[in-house]
Amino acid sequence: MAKGFLPCGTYHQDYKHDHAWWQTRFVKGKMILLGIILFLVIPHLDPYWVGVANMIGYTILGALGVDLLIGFTGQITLGHAAFIAVGAYTSTLLVLEFPWPPIFHHLGISYPISIIVGAIVAGLWSVLFGLPSAKVKGFYLILTTMAAQFVTVDFIITQYVAKIGGRGQAFSLPPGTIKIGPWIIDNPIKVYYLMIILVLLCIGMVANLLRSKPGRAWMAIRDNDIAAETLGINIVFYKLLSFFVAGFIAGIAGAFWISNLAAISPEHFPWSWSLWLVGVILIGGTGSIHGTILGSMFMVLVMEFLQMGILPLADVYPQLLEKFLFVKESTFGLAICAFLIFEPNGLSYRWWQIKNYFNLWPFSY
Amino acid sequence: MSQMDLFFMTLTTGLMVGGIYALVALGWVIIYKCSGVLNLAMGELTIIGAYVTLTFYQMGVPFVFAVVISLIIGLVLGILTERVFLDRLIGEPILTVIMVTVGLSFFFRGLVEFIWGTDTRVFTPPVFPLKPIKIGFLVIGSVYLWSFITAIVLLLILVGFFQYTRWGLAMQATADDEMAAISLGVSARFVYAAAWAIAFMAAGVGGSLLGNINGLNISVSYLGLLVLPAVVLGGLNSIPGAIVGGLVIGILQNFAGAYLDQFFPGGVKQIFPFVFMVVFLLFKPYGLWGWERIERV
Repeated sequence: MAKGFLPCGTYHQDYKHDHAWWQTRFVKGKMILLGIILFLVIPHLDPYWVGVANMIGYTILGALGVDLLIGFTGQITLGHAAFIAVGAYTSTLLVLEFPWPPIFHHLGISYPISIIVGAIVAGLWSVLFGLPSAKVKGFYLILTTMAAQFVTVDFIITQYVAKIGGRGQAFSLPPGTIKIGPWIIDNPIKVYYLMIILVLLCIGMVANLLRSKPGRAWMAIRDNDIAAETLGINIVFYKLLSFFVAGFIAGIAGAFWISNLAAISPEHFPWSWSLWLVGVILIGGTGSIHGTILGSMFMVLVMEFLQMGILPLADVYPQLLEKFLFVKESTFGLAICAFLIFEPNGLSYRWWQIKNYFNLWPFSY
Repeated sequence: MSQMDLFFMTLTTGLMVGGIYALVALGWVIIYKCSGVLNLAMGELTIIGAYVTLTFYQMGVPFVFAVVISLIIGLVLGILTERVFLDRLIGEPILTVIMVTVGLSFFFRGLVEFIWGTDTRVFTPPVFPLKPIKIGFLVIGSVYLWSFITAIVLLLILVGFFQYTRWGLAMQATADDEMAAISLGVSARFVYAAAWAIAFMAAGVGGSLLGNINGLNISVSYLGLLVLPAVVLGGLNSIPGAIVGGLVIGILQNFAGAYLDQFFPGGVKQIFPFVFMVVFLLFKPYGLWGWERIERV
């Protein structure tokens, strides 16, 4: 999708202007406003809504990697939860089991290190399952990524990794273990700050990658891999790089999410979560960072409102409350189908249209 | 039990379960052949049929008639699904079609859990006698034997349907060359609807039989996913391939459970078909009998 049109009467005077992130004063103002809302307004909302914002952030981090693979490189993946799980477990194990010198715990740098290590391990694990992409594509690649999910989460993590340390199935994280420097991350607002910084860093990283050589190569591979190879792009390398970056972000997502959970177990990373992430980017619009963000917000908020709408009905039909999860699943399935049938370009396309309408107003031709 | 007995027991059990997989895999291949849809909702199709059968069986309907009722409901649901969701997506990119089937699987799964809950349900009273049957030195649970016989009979009926009836031939013609079939007066939309109806019915019977073996809960839908290794092995668009693939996956799975479990304790039985699939994909991605016109990188 092309960049939005510039407002009437605004022209690029030089290349520096053309390459700038924020091209007009209006956009700069918008970004400052967004920053104020993100850092100053949302943390002061009701803690419940801060928790919802954390869920949105986690979904964005997960879906960003999926969007990179599906939307920008054209490699369909249905096993992304596996890489999130790898990141989460690596980070947990590093925090709980690794024999750090006590000074590390004291200074609170073991968790930040574990985020980075978790991200790298998840990235390498993702490359391992991306290897078949050198040979097969389309439906066959979907099957191998599905296999990644079952092999990683249902077998390796459930049977072996979850049993390290003899804790049984779930690793509980005692309060106070997750800390960055002197700050112990123990309430939704602190989790929120961690989340917003990680999300902004990851979005910045992906956005910058997309407008440099790797990003152009990924998009060339997505649009026509044979033409891309003819142009001298090493498609195997760039596909694997895409898998690595996607896995890296998934690892960050997983390592971040343990700060919000009191205990982690393999059930937090089911296959349906992988599918859910793919659904999120389809609803938001593939091949667009806006789409990832809008799709995550849409899905999480719709589910919240659905829950609120269903609460009054529970007086009439009390079982509805315990069966809400199933209503949620069905609604999500229908939402995916409806979007694919009626709005295949997703929410980001609508956003783009609205933005251009205002940019071009009053001369929309 | 001697080593030899264990081997043959595993082989026969695998073969019998494989018969059920073959039935479900056949349904998958029919959808793919006729309409080109790669269906990831197969697991949900199996549990819908299974739960419908179970409900009617608990109400006192004899098992055979309960299965027939589930066949009729499967027929209606299959046609409805095709008309409402898939019909509008003909010719769309692969991701769109696959994700619609994923959306359908979420929808059906939520629906099934909403109606029937998540607890394991068993067929009471048991449909098949609990006493195992002895053939020579082999001892087989009668539920396996009867499931196998049912699956094989249904497979024969389906294959006969494709070879000898007008509708079956119309479906084959559409799968082979859609344009030519349409110009000869075959209704492609009818063929698509029929493919989904047959897949729903085959999966429903498969699910009912699987539910008899281990009880019925939402994880039976995982067994429905095992059709994917089966069809990859046989080739995505080959009916004999689906049958052979189903049988082989059943056998491999049980061998993995019997022999590999001591080395990798835990769920190796569930995982092995998928590991096998990945390795197989690397060497022979178009399967044993599939058309070799798969896109390669």
